Amino acid sequence: MPDQRTSRLAQVLVEYSMNVQPGERIAVVGTTLAEPLMLECMRYILRAGAHPHLVARLPAEDYVLFTEANKDQLTYVSPLLRTVIEEFDGFLQISSTGNSRQLSGVDPEKQGLHSKARSPLMKRYMERHNARDLRILITLFPTAQQAQDADMSLTELEDYVYAATYSDTEDSIAAWNNVADQQNTYVEWLEGKESVKVQGPDVDLSLSIKGRRFLSAHGQVNMPDGEIYTSPVEDSLNGWIRFGFPAIRAGREVEGIELTFEMGKVVEARANKGEDLLMQMLDVDDGARYVGEFAVGANDQINRFMRNMLFDEKMGSTIHLALGAGFSDVGGRNESGIHWDMLCNMRDGGQIYVDDELFYDSGRFFPE
Amino acid sequence: MPDIRHTRLADVLINYSINVKPGDRVAILTQPPAMPLVEEIYRKVLEAGGFPYVQLGGLRTKVETEVLSYYLLTEGNDEQIEHVNRFEKIIREEFECMVSLYSGTNTRAMSGVDPARLSQRIKAYTDVTRTYQQRSASKDLRWVISMFPTNAYAQDADMSLEEFEDYVYKTTFVDQDNPIREWKKIHDDQQKLVDYLAGKKVLEVKGPHVDLRLSIEGRGFVNSDGEHNMPSGEVYTSPVEDSADGWVRFGFPAIYSAREVEGIELTFEKGKVVKATAEKNEDFLQKMIATDEGASRLGEFAIGTNKRINRFIKNILFDEKIGGTIHMALGFGFPQVGGKNESAIHWDMICEMRDGGQIFADGEQFYESGEFTI
Repeated sequence: MPDQRTSRLAQVLVEYSMNVQPGERIAVVGTTLAEPLMLECMRYILRAGAHPHLVARLPAEDYVLFTEANKDQLTYVSPLLRTVIEEFDGFLQISSTGNSRQLSGVDPEKQGLHSKARSPLMKRYMERHNARDLRILITLFPTAQQAQDADMSLTELEDYVYAATYSDTEDSIAAWNNVADQQNTYVEWLEGKESVKVQGPDVDLSLSIKGRRFLSAHGQVNMPDGEIYTSPVEDSLNGWIRFGFPAIRAGREVEGIELTFEMGKVVEARANKGEDLLMQMLDVDDGARYVGEFAVGANDQINRFMRNMLFDEKMGSTIHLALGAGFSDVGGRNESGIHWDMLCNMRDGGQIYVDDELFYDSGRFFPE
Repeated sequence: MPDIRHTRLADVLINYSINVKPGDRVAILTQPPAMPLVEEIYRKVLEAGGFPYVQLGGLRTKVETEVLSYYLLTEGNDEQIEHVNRFEKIIREEFECMVSLYSGTNTRAMSGVDPARLSQRIKAYTDVTRTYQQRSASKDLRWVISMFPTNAYAQDADMSLEEFEDYVYKTTFVDQDNPIREWKKIHDDQQKLVDYLAGKKVLEVKGPHVDLRLSIEGRGFVNSDGEHNMPSGEVYTSPVEDSADGWVRFGFPAIYSAREVEGIELTFEKGKVVKATAEKNEDFLQKMIATDEGASRLGEFAIGTNKRINRFIKNILFDEKIGGTIHMALGFGFPQVGGKNESAIHWDMICEMRDGGQIFADGEQFYESGEFTI
């Protein structure tokens, strides 16, 4: 008998997030460390009348692949993966690493070859995802090494994951429906608004959302979830922001980033630690100096930084900006090879004014 | 059929490090992932005529089973935290041999534990620790610490498990046919250095990261040749307790109970830390220094010599032996070399010497940038 919270999480994933229907084909991919959650997902997929396809990967297989494979083997694309992406209805990915650093010694060129060979398939993946033909869902099953990365014991990480996904409450699905209702009132209110001013100890920024839509992310694509986001008008950002949380890129942390914007473009950038990486990333391409995302985190169960964006960007009382690629479905036009999320603390006096009306104060929406 | 390297490591531990004799009681303190190595050690103990006792690492050993430690320190009451495990006491008071195997599943499991509770636990074991040190000094208790590689350590080392296994078995020389012969050779090489330092009085350590004077009058250096640590490769002593004067900066992170403190700088006057700063986690450093009177004095000064240990992996069993570094420990000293400092802690900190570090003994230079010049 698994942890009851694991069962509840599986039920949320299958019934709420993916809303699995009879006859659908659903792939569930994780490492063997995620066995308890994979089996529970299988159970709920079967109960929903659909066809579960479990793909249990060995935690160390990528290391063996990248150290042993020749060019042919590295660029070979699995027909099983192709079938899932071309034909399946659902693709549930369970992050469950056994060693987050195992590819540190692998030549990045080999990894580049491998992802390049898959890029046509990944394009298809995004197309079918955007059309909602293939429902993609990303979640995490706590492992000892993920806990180690988060500076926690496994017990602490389990408690954290199950709280953030509301799997620690009797009726988790009701909790998520409630999140959806709440967040929908925010995005409905934001509909048709134009100017946004963000103020607080760490930020003094104005931006335009004219003609752009906010979307509510409440558990369909990420679990845990809880944010509202948009792509702001590309040349509209003016002002300054300091990101109190480390920004992570390629396993490296950049701390104490401060950015100054003029007409949408980063004109000044500094960091306390890892400034060289920040500068490199800003110069990746033209779009890397523009913002592709402005979002407000709304999950108050997520209250500590754990170096994992699946969780961190949803942290209550934070906002985040991403440098780089925007979202076309909300009207975003910025193009870039990067999309780098950075988190700003709003807990102590951070305010958002929309068309000069106070919309958000210190973590609370529609403050009185 | 086990990995041949497990069999060789077991052989080194039992027949070289602690040299088990018929009738010896040998405690094997371990964690569940180490079972493949434990099985080989068990067989070697039987072969040597000893009595193997296998048990989970237990609390307040070098190989804590972190999940259980976490529960004790977060859920236990004062009485439970201060309770001394009877088995651990018996092993240290009565047994002839003890093999401890690091084999953790999460090196950060204790990060969320209140340091005060950890100190409370450590203090409760002061008597057991003293007995252990005394019986160790008199060789009534022969002990060795080693490692069975896991993903937890591999991840900290920025390696895959397979790479990390290779590193562990390379640095212990069990990738070779006759590792015991290699360890005997290391013993002989280091002995020359120990002999040179015998009878010397004053050490001066200079370089980009250090400017420190210590007295070693009446203190001999110990040849750490794999008897207590596997891998090993260092010479060490306990300097005269009130002698350290000067400044040192530890460029490698110092780790204690899963907490990492970066950029430590210490200033000593008359042997005592009078100023301590750190770039990251300075609070924890200050708390540890305040553990007791001895925690602000040096219990150890050592020179790492193992050239096969050539990268920092966030594990002191390996890192303190990096060829071309020195390390010092705050806290208890070693009675067998005349060390008198008493403390519940012993915290090793590593200083880079390969970039111009020099050591002088009674005014004569014998070490330059990681190489011995005598």
